Amino acid sequence: MSDAIVIWLKSTAVSHAMSSSPVLWPICEMLHFVGLALLIGAAGLIDLRLMGFLKSVPVTAMMQLRKWAALGLLINVVTGTLFFVGAPGQYINNPAWYAKLSFLLVAMINVAVFETRQGRRMLTLASGVNTPVSFKIAGAVSIGSWFLVLYFGRMLPFIGNAF
Amino acid sequence: MTDLLASLETSALSTWLRESPSIWAYPAILTLHTLGLGVLVGANWMVDLRVLGVAPAIPLGVLSRAFPIMWTGFWLNAISGVLLFVSDPTKGMTTLFMWKLGIIAIGVALVLVLKRKVYGRGVEMDRASFVVKTMAALSLVIWIAAIATGRWMAYAV
Repeated sequence: MSDAIVIWLKSTAVSHAMSSSPVLWPICEMLHFVGLALLIGAAGLIDLRLMGFLKSVPVTAMMQLRKWAALGLLINVVTGTLFFVGAPGQYINNPAWYAKLSFLLVAMINVAVFETRQGRRMLTLASGVNTPVSFKIAGAVSIGSWFLVLYFGRMLPFIGNAF
Repeated sequence: MTDLLASLETSALSTWLRESPSIWAYPAILTLHTLGLGVLVGANWMVDLRVLGVAPAIPLGVLSRAFPIMWTGFWLNAISGVLLFVSDPTKGMTTLFMWKLGIIAIGVALVLVLKRKVYGRGVEMDRASFVVKTMAALSLVIWIAAIATGRWMAYAV
């Protein structure tokens, strides 16, 4: 099953381009790290506010940074997909890759649950106000899972021998 | 100079960092360097973006608290960066690495100047001047260049 996926992906033009071009992979790596910084910066500040820090910023004001976190995530999903298509064999049996994707999923579910369950409540919180426990949990889960996504991403070459 | 680098490369610390199979040697240092990058550049970009007019509902004054976060990321990377250099001094002595250090020096100078311009007068400006905005835009670009040169070091022979 996984062999068939690897063979098929490697036969695509995108995969050829990623593996044969001397510059495409490094450029995608740069973009992946730019996306990383954007995501950590924007999501990090939002999470700190949800956890009860930086109280003089209204929660809704801090939430204006959401689209920058989303932009960072978008850049990294696109470049990450290109890495996977470019060298699928490096990832498909790599435990670090599965750990990374799992924590990415945790972060996504956390955002979805928070936005649907707590989104309305957020609007009622003014500046200077502490956040409820549910907000603190959401913030901690978010920042924790992003750091683990980063950690297992960095561990791809060391745990599972990807480059 | 070459002798100095050679003796650095044969030192116990360098050998351990380079050759130890432990996940706490090279992989841990590299992870800390990536984490520090995210914290330093991420916090820096949020201040730059706010200065440029993004997320206007966030009071600019509060973002002075992003500076200690930046310095945490900076020192994490200064220390992990020195260790990465010790692990492979030959790779460190390249023109590319000199470019990276120069770019970071400009980035750090911009952080210091921006902090003084925005918060130094005791009055927190909520609308940044054209000069301050230009510095913020430059800062955004400078850290992209720092990331690019750092990343390129992994591919340059």
